[in-house]
Amino acid sequence: MPSPTGDQISKSLFAERSEWSDVTPLQQYESLVNPLAPIFYTEEYKDATDYFRGIVKSGEKSQRVLELTEAIIRQNPAHYSAWQYRYETLLALDAPLDVELKLMDELAVKYLKTYQVWHHRRLLLAHTRKPAPELEFIARSLGVDAKNYHTWSYRQWLLAYFNDEDDLWRGELDFVDAMLTQDVRNNSAWHHRFFVVWGCGVREGEEDRGRILKRELTYVKQNISLAPNNPSAWNYLRGVLDHNQVLYSIVFPFVRLYTVPFNSERTDIVDLENPPPDKDANLPCPAAIEFLADVYEQDKNKESTLQAVELWMSLANEHDTIRKKYWEHRIREALEATKV
Amino acid sequence: MSSKLLIPLHVSYIQKLGESKDDLAYHLTSHLRLNAIYWGLTALCVMGHQEALDREEMIEFVMSCWDDEAGGFGAHPEHDAHLLSTLSAIQILIMQDALDRVDVPRVVSFILSLQQPSGVFAGDSFGEFDTRFLYCAVSALSLLGRLDELDKEKTVGYIERCRNFDGGFGNVVGAESHSGQAFVCVAALAILDRLDVVDTDTLCWWLSERQLPNGGLNGRPEKLEDVCYSFWVLSALSILNKVEWIDANKLSSFILSAQDLETGGIADRPGDMVDVFHTIFGVAGLSILGYPGLVDLDPVYCMPAAVIEAKGLRKGWKALERRPADS
Repeated sequence: MPSPTGDQISKSLFAERSEWSDVTPLQQYESLVNPLAPIFYTEEYKDATDYFRGIVKSGEKSQRVLELTEAIIRQNPAHYSAWQYRYETLLALDAPLDVELKLMDELAVKYLKTYQVWHHRRLLLAHTRKPAPELEFIARSLGVDAKNYHTWSYRQWLLAYFNDEDDLWRGELDFVDAMLTQDVRNNSAWHHRFFVVWGCGVREGEEDRGRILKRELTYVKQNISLAPNNPSAWNYLRGVLDHNQVLYSIVFPFVRLYTVPFNSERTDIVDLENPPPDKDANLPCPAAIEFLADVYEQDKNKESTLQAVELWMSLANEHDTIRKKYWEHRIREALEATKV
Repeated sequence: MSSKLLIPLHVSYIQKLGESKDDLAYHLTSHLRLNAIYWGLTALCVMGHQEALDREEMIEFVMSCWDDEAGGFGAHPEHDAHLLSTLSAIQILIMQDALDRVDVPRVVSFILSLQQPSGVFAGDSFGEFDTRFLYCAVSALSLLGRLDELDKEKTVGYIERCRNFDGGFGNVVGAESHSGQAFVCVAALAILDRLDVVDTDTLCWWLSERQLPNGGLNGRPEKLEDVCYSFWVLSALSILNKVEWIDANKLSSFILSAQDLETGGIADRPGDMVDVFHTIFGVAGLSILGYPGLVDLDPVYCMPAAVIEAKGLRKGWKALERRPADS
């Protein structure tokens, strides 16, 4: 029998329902006159949690317990004991978990921000073992809240947990690309891309690491040219080069384009390797200046070090003054290194 | 707008926290109650007004949260034991000089039982795991003087696997770098004397990049500033001796601008509603930044530095020097 909707549940108290008359509700422990922990309830919440304490004490695991825990969760999605007991009840009843997941889909939209919503799904998925529809659901949730930390973390868990099903990964790059098309500044999406491409072991079809590296460099450069002042993209570029142990000088011609004001006399030769910023971009881009300084620093000779120092000084004094002390540290450190 | 920390107002805000009879949201946060008391008490200590809340009542409340079945503390009487509230209970009792009320062997057993094969800790038997709970376990065991009972290799190994390409740390292996996790991972490593696991230069650069033009700090790139990051970011920097990499004046101004000049308390950002969580972390941030008149805070344990030092637990962190009162 499907459980009543949330609206129906809140209309009558459990205390008023004859089918619950066999349960002894237990009141919340009332500490005496403690200003730090007063107990305040709506009548519905107090009623539901009193009955919850009652069935926990008797250890009942029945269909009506599902109704009761749903009532509590709808009023307070952070009540983790209710979630836990609900899960145990579902298992005890051998309840259809697909149905439970559908109900959770509805709740998730309303109560997205609480951790328990995701953890409950994780527990259910470990039983149903049907991850593909879950990816769909996660994508829809991210449509509502594109940077939700728990949602992305759940997606990563799902992919890693059901790792041996190659099909699961197939759409991931397209998915990340769609998220970045929506918002190129979504740090969670960039992180997820790193996780998918570099973080999770090599998958079938992705063995040619040289080709993958080239593909990713092209991808991140294109996205930087769309929105240069985007720390996530620059971090991704740095991460890719570091991970593959490639010197930063490989992108020197590209980075340099972003360290100078827009050049209106530039001819329109399309260089796919080095997509330039467009005229509306805010130039020079501090992240690019920083990157260029790193390129020079990696050369590790006196001349290039001085060039790096000059760039760091421009950051400290003009382009990124809020981090002045950090840039001064970089200058000191690099000059020390050249003395050695 | 105030350019001063309105200590008496914040003290009275914290004292009044239990009196909000009309605050419907209050009962929905019973799962945070013990944590909230820890936040309130620590804020009072840092502002030099520990006496503003009754010590006996507080100790009795903490003990009423004891879950005898599990051997830990829940967030509220009759709530199941959880690592977050167990740590808060231990911290409160230490600050109130009442640690002798704790059944240490049982609590140690509860904490250790929550470690997973991977090295991370679950928060409770429900099974949510997160590096936050790993920190709670390490901190609690350390405060109880029982750190030697922890499998340190396994614990450190998990943190290491949470380190990301940008030098930051996520809440589980594979998750995005986040300022909150930077604190819990770095602080746990500090307690375990394993700061070698941190890529210090890269992480501290990443942390300094959290500062936005308005002076506030965010939790990850392209997200909004929030006062609570004043603690998560600053404490990690302080442990790694790089607090200077943040513009202290701008951050202080930001925190002070988030005060409520009428009711007291501090919000996540200027103009929003205040709460005790942002109050403690705003005040803690100011303490690390050397704001005059505040008490020194230990960034590893987020407790008064003198208390931690007396227990012989002080690590090599460095805060900014406290400025004299009329500066």
